[in-house]
Amino acid sequence: MIEAPDLSLAALAPLLFVFGAACIGVLVEAFWPRESRHPVQVTVALVGTLGALVTTLLLTVDFEREITAAGALAVDGPALFLQATIAGLGALSLLLFAERALDPARSAFVVSAAVPAGSPRDRELLTVQRVQTEVYPLATFAIGGMMLFVAANDLLIMFVALEVLSLPLYLISGLARRRRLLSQEAAVKYFLLGAFASAFFLYGLALVYGATGSVRLGDIRSASLAGGTDVLLVLGLALLVVGLLFKASVAPFHTWTPDVYQGAPTPVTAFMAACTKVAAFGAILRLLYVAFGTAEWTWRPLVYAVAIVSMVVGAVLGLTQTDLKRMLAYSSIAHAGFLLTGVIGLGAAGDGSGLAATMFYLLTYGLTTLGAFAVLTLVRDGDGEATHLSQWAGLASRSPLVAAVMTLFLLALAGIPLTAGFTGKFAVFRAAIEEGAWPLALVALLASAVAAFFYLRVIVLMYFSPPAGAERGQGPTVGVPGMPTTIVLAITATATLALGIVPGSVLDLAERAAIFVG
Amino acid sequence: MTLTYYLVLAAILFTIGAVGVLVRRNAIVVFMCVELMLNSVNLTLVTFARATGTIDGQIMAFFVMVVAAAEVVVGLAIIMSIYRTRRSASVDDANLLKY
Amino acid sequence: MSEVLPAEGLLGASWLLIALPLAGAAVLLLGGRRTDRWGHLLGTATVVAAFVLALLCTFQLAGLEERSADVDLFTFISTGDLDVRAGLLFDPLSAIFALLITGVGSLIHVYSIGYMAHDPARRRFFAYLNLFVAAMLLLVLGNSFVALYVGWEGVGLASYLLIAFWYTRPAAATAAKKAFIMNRVGDVGLALAIFLMFAQLGTTSYAGVFGGVGTLAGGTITAIGLLLLLGACGKSGQFPLQAWLPDAMEGPTPVSALIHAATMVTAGVYLIARSAPIYDLTETARTVVMAIGALTLLIGAIAGCAYDDIKKVLAYSTVSQIGYMFLAVGLGPAGYVAGLAHLLAHGFFKAGLFLGAGSVMHAMNDSVDMRRFGGLWKKLPVTFVTFGLGYLALIGFPFLSGYFTKDAIIEATFDRDDWLGWTTGGIAVLAAGLTAFYMTRLMLMTFFGRARWEEGVHPHESPSVMTAPMVVLAVGSVFSGALLVSIFPLSDWLEPVFGEPEEAAHVIAPATIGIALTVIMLLGVLAAWLFVGRREVPVTAPVRVSPVTRAARNALYADTINESLFMRPGQWLTRALVWVDNRGVDGAVNGLAATLGGSSSRLGRAQTGFVRTYALGMLGGAVLVAGALLAVTAG
Repeated sequence: MIEAPDLSLAALAPLLFVFGAACIGVLVEAFWPRESRHPVQVTVALVGTLGALVTTLLLTVDFEREITAAGALAVDGPALFLQATIAGLGALSLLLFAERALDPARSAFVVSAAVPAGSPRDRELLTVQRVQTEVYPLATFAIGGMMLFVAANDLLIMFVALEVLSLPLYLISGLARRRRLLSQEAAVKYFLLGAFASAFFLYGLALVYGATGSVRLGDIRSASLAGGTDVLLVLGLALLVVGLLFKASVAPFHTWTPDVYQGAPTPVTAFMAACTKVAAFGAILRLLYVAFGTAEWTWRPLVYAVAIVSMVVGAVLGLTQTDLKRMLAYSSIAHAGFLLTGVIGLGAAGDGSGLAATMFYLLTYGLTTLGAFAVLTLVRDGDGEATHLSQWAGLASRSPLVAAVMTLFLLALAGIPLTAGFTGKFAVFRAAIEEGAWPLALVALLASAVAAFFYLRVIVLMYFSPPAGAERGQGPTVGVPGMPTTIVLAITATATLALGIVPGSVLDLAERAAIFVG
Repeated sequence: MTLTYYLVLAAILFTIGAVGVLVRRNAIVVFMCVELMLNSVNLTLVTFARATGTIDGQIMAFFVMVVAAAEVVVGLAIIMSIYRTRRSASVDDANLLKY
Repeated sequence: MSEVLPAEGLLGASWLLIALPLAGAAVLLLGGRRTDRWGHLLGTATVVAAFVLALLCTFQLAGLEERSADVDLFTFISTGDLDVRAGLLFDPLSAIFALLITGVGSLIHVYSIGYMAHDPARRRFFAYLNLFVAAMLLLVLGNSFVALYVGWEGVGLASYLLIAFWYTRPAAATAAKKAFIMNRVGDVGLALAIFLMFAQLGTTSYAGVFGGVGTLAGGTITAIGLLLLLGACGKSGQFPLQAWLPDAMEGPTPVSALIHAATMVTAGVYLIARSAPIYDLTETARTVVMAIGALTLLIGAIAGCAYDDIKKVLAYSTVSQIGYMFLAVGLGPAGYVAGLAHLLAHGFFKAGLFLGAGSVMHAMNDSVDMRRFGGLWKKLPVTFVTFGLGYLALIGFPFLSGYFTKDAIIEATFDRDDWLGWTTGGIAVLAAGLTAFYMTRLMLMTFFGRARWEEGVHPHESPSVMTAPMVVLAVGSVFSGALLVSIFPLSDWLEPVFGEPEEAAHVIAPATIGIALTVIMLLGVLAAWLFVGRREVPVTAPVRVSPVTRAARNALYADTINESLFMRPGQWLTRALVWVDNRGVDGAVNGLAATLGGSSSRLGRAQTGFVRTYALGMLGGAVLVAGALLAVTAG
């Protein structure tokens, strides 16, 4: 007789919402008439993610930490905070997916991915007004996987969630309508390297299982307390960490990031940069502090080192980039390093201010980077988005509002005071210094200074250079965004400013949420 | 016969897979090497299940198989699409994005 | 410092002072071309409104018993033991600055309506001006060093944007870059000072820092004082960071008047006066402040003699006058009030002089070469009179504003009665003579003598929208000195900030100093008349053949004197400095940039685009990670 596991449906509601929406999306894809499918899919996906956002927020009212689903899921402060973040950012990304006013072909996604790029049929389809709607259920599944990822209390669930979030991402990064060769290349690279990395994660899982007899995070913790740290466990930890650092695009596991960010359709890049980062760091925090919190001394030097490498690689390589998407990818690598600074600031007992700081940073970074990529979708030339730096020269004279909004996001990414980026950086650096990691904070400050250079370069270019291609009348055009992108830009810009000027309440919230169950 | 042999075999398989990813050019073969790595993990899991006397490892092996199957679906689709465009499945040919 | 009370009534709304011009800037920048038609009016209106508000606030402040109001705005960050609040402090010191900024700012906004009337980018100009006013008000109204720093960077940005306003001119772009870089050097000092305060005291609010500074070690206080001074030198164009200010004249003239004469460049003086409780505790830092002030005022006065560019002469004059203010605030309690009085008076007459120069340029097809002026007094009567009054005020003509305020500084310097006081006082007196010389030379070359205009130039008086502000400023230049020193003594108004004024020692009787200064001033005027006024001014600067013979032959020519005495060593010095700059400063900066850029491209080559290379990197990373973890566990 097998006992049914206890399921707290209330605690699972956010996940059920998203996965429910994803499944309905698949059904809609199969049965709804094609002509009216797009609005239905968008509605289903938005209802799912926003429903998840609302239910997570409802869960925080009168909230009790608990471990549910036969111990597989931990519904605690960090899980809810990060789930809410992912659901919110995911909903915003879906709005970017749904933008139809910018591209002359009415969508950023290819109509039929199976048609070879550049073939006559492909060119024919380029002018067809049909849109592709498979991306919505796929993205919704990815969002569900991410939300599961940050709540996983069990390495196996973590692995499954990792795959559930990755597989749809591999697919949708190959679905760009324009520059399909780049997009397909990005998908292949992302897929092969992602599969490679998850194999490492899985082997780590197996070794930890061998060492402790369980894959439950709590059991690993007690086993490592009782039995000390044997080679098997440490090797397992190393491989698990490799898998997670890959997803978080931390150097030296960052190599896929620039290529994939550049090649993928920009809305997808925005989605990856914002949501995947949150999910990956949620899992890193949970793994390191719930399962290996007692063996903190083993991994602390390692995190220290990769944080430095990541900050330096991201900041230095970003300097010579000429493509904005690629530059933002290197920025994302540098930010992963800054986030690890917050992980270090978590403190030996996991009670430092680092957890709250890291979660807050994830929220601010997600909003800012999403906004920055959203601006990228606006500036276009004949072949889709105009992402080359030179095409942005003198943008301010043509479109001051777009330039101003981009400036805000770039300043936030650079961590200039009165933007969300500053508050986030301040919080994580302070947490690191509190834990005595001031050399790390110092490197982080230097890396921020170097990175600030390439953000400011874009601003200078937008404001002080003669407009690109103006004399030949063939500069890029700034598209008028439709409702979805406008909403995204308004929300992200407002939040970036608000979290910079009055971050108090959200910081409080992060602080109150910052206790793991385990 | 001790269980260690199985573990060592699995480790060797994992290494062969990892090295295969590095040295093979054909995307399909690279992908198969990744699958080899996953299956070596399955072997490890089952061995540990035996060693610890729990059933969890065997169940996990099933999970891994399902996930691997899903991965095959996605992976082959992606490789197919790029193959149709480029008429080549060599991973070295897809080299537009760099630096 | 007196007790700080929460603000009530109108003072509670003093944040509007900053918000109004900021909103103006935002509307103008974001509104785009739609606002072209009325943008300049909106920009002016916000500043005028801010001025009215500042006046009302000041009246209310005058009625308060404590004469200080703390305006709590919001909590910036509050986590654990750290509580950073953003707020404003409206006290007598910030009040006079707020009045100066919005008052002179309003006049210059009005003037710019006329001056920029034909510039296609007038709206952008007003947006930047508004941005500047907002940042400057934040700088003086903030209640913590962090708020000051934010304002400080804000005015730096606005200044950069405005210098580079005509960015198509290479000189403007270069000047803007130079200003930006030299200001950054100063800003590093300010930032370090703030970090040091925060590290030592855990707070950066004025109340907290000034309350706790007494508990610090002497060395730390001196370090903070010197770092603050570095910041002040950068912003105020003081030695050794003075070179950007004359170059900054590439910006439109109203900018030179507002930012690079009346307000922003005095921020350094504000910083030191505001940090009085810190400087009161460190004699060393104050001595350095005095020395830098004295050195700069001399350098500025000498350089002022050598230029033919009307705006550059005025710019060096600004450098020199701010030197006087530094000298004064370096004196400590005896000098704060004198320095600030000079600052206010200078705000009037220098702004007036720049606007006058702008009016002259307006008449002369934007030429700035004084050799091509001459005889303009008949053509530009209003400009001539207002400029003349500003000129008299600047050289310290008796009973005009400069006379009172400069006199007070020199008096206070001699009152120290030690070698430093005598040396710096002597330099100040000497420079007063030089000031009279170069300003008279400027007057003579511009307004008197034969007309040496280029062909096709038909001077005409500027429209009334430009002359009206000049008249107001001229009235200010005449009366502000007497007003501030005798009628409404500034020392009484500032008493809550700097305490009861001390009874002056009067080592030399004030009347003696007054007379001596007047004599020196007259000597300077006479010398200028001898060298410049009596003879024809060559249209082009004399070309040097053999400097020694030429100097001997033409010794009476002021320009030759300038050249052989000042310009030549100046050029050598400049060359040396340029060399140091190229090899040292630029070298370091360029070297760093090259290193980073080089390593960037080298590292970038690792990003080959080959999946297999990436996989190898990951595998290598994984091996390293595993190895590191094993090493840590084993070790």
